[in-house]
Amino acid sequence: MATETETAPAPTTTDEGHDHHPDHLQHHFVSSQQQFDSAKLGMWLFLITEVLLFSGMFVAYAVYRQWHPEAFVEASATLNTMFGTINTIVLLTSSLTVALSIHYIQTDQIKKCVYNLGATVLLAGGFMVIKYFEYMAKFEHGVYPGGLFDPHGAHYEHLAQIPYAPQFFSIYFVMTGIHGAHVLIGMAVIGWVAVRAWQGAYSHEYYTPVELTGLYWHLVDIVWIFLFPMLYLI
Amino acid sequence: MADDHHVLPKDTLFKVFGGLIVLTIITVAVTYVPLGPLNVPVAIAIATAKAALVVLFFMALKYDNPVNALTFTIGIIMVVVFITFTLFDTAFRGDLGNVSSQTVEEIEREQKEAQEQMDQLSPEDLRVAPADYPDQRGAESGSVEPSGGGDENEQ
Repeated sequence: MATETETAPAPTTTDEGHDHHPDHLQHHFVSSQQQFDSAKLGMWLFLITEVLLFSGMFVAYAVYRQWHPEAFVEASATLNTMFGTINTIVLLTSSLTVALSIHYIQTDQIKKCVYNLGATVLLAGGFMVIKYFEYMAKFEHGVYPGGLFDPHGAHYEHLAQIPYAPQFFSIYFVMTGIHGAHVLIGMAVIGWVAVRAWQGAYSHEYYTPVELTGLYWHLVDIVWIFLFPMLYLI
Repeated sequence: MADDHHVLPKDTLFKVFGGLIVLTIITVAVTYVPLGPLNVPVAIAIATAKAALVVLFFMALKYDNPVNALTFTIGIIMVVVFITFTLFDTAFRGDLGNVSSQTVEEIEREQKEAQEQMDQLSPEDLRVAPADYPDQRGAESGSVEPSGGGDENEQ
């Protein structure tokens, strides 16, 4: 880890003041590289807390599915696999655009970076719109989480006769809901990073916010990668 | 500076994206194949492969500072412990409802003693039903039949 670049840009110790620092480099770091590495490690630690947040819900899913597999199979069959698949592809594409935006900022292609960040926000918006229609289709037929569960309509009627079907939908709404909240937060943060990039705040020397936002967005994608088969397919 | 940061070539990013799309198509296609109990493991295995692609290439953990990989790996181990050990409890609840306070040796000894007692009994000690007394059947049936006939006469 200790590369020569870590010690190279530290000539300020003998000079007065901080005039020779790059603007983005904060006083308590030796070098840009060290600052970047610290920020990234901090981001990974945050991502792990996010993973643990979701893993609590994955455990709930595993326990209840193991107890009532028939109810989960029946209830999950009422979800729209088509919408789920489209949303998976939308999110995977948004992961690609975020990865490309980091590639472009690393190579100082600011415009292309901004376009890819913008595409990511649009794709995330598309994901939320599809999710909105899915939720509305459920709510119209009384498929609510918890005690409000009162399914009616041809596609959902039979769920009333399945003892533990409400459990599936409670888990479905909580997991996709919290995931959706992460998507909304991601859209806001990526939008902000896109604006800052457009203003020329980032370059190949300093693009930490782009990198960290990208990591966050990939994690949101990974959560969906697991939610999709668990809720829609099996 | 940032010069030593690994820049992933666009080519790699598109290849990984292609892999992710192919795996998505496979996992959807597999739901039309009846695999029985393998449905869940196959779906989770494909999802894990997709997540690995995202983590290693899109998140560039493969080329990154190893301390980040260490952080992530420890976290994932904790998740596996969380899920597995919870299922150790919930998946086997009730299986111990018929436990005995005796040891296996005690149970086996009691069963053996009971078997020995059974072996010592002669067939005569075990007779309960009329069919167990074949030699007396003739005498009994002779006495029952007239009484049945008597009932019919009274009506």
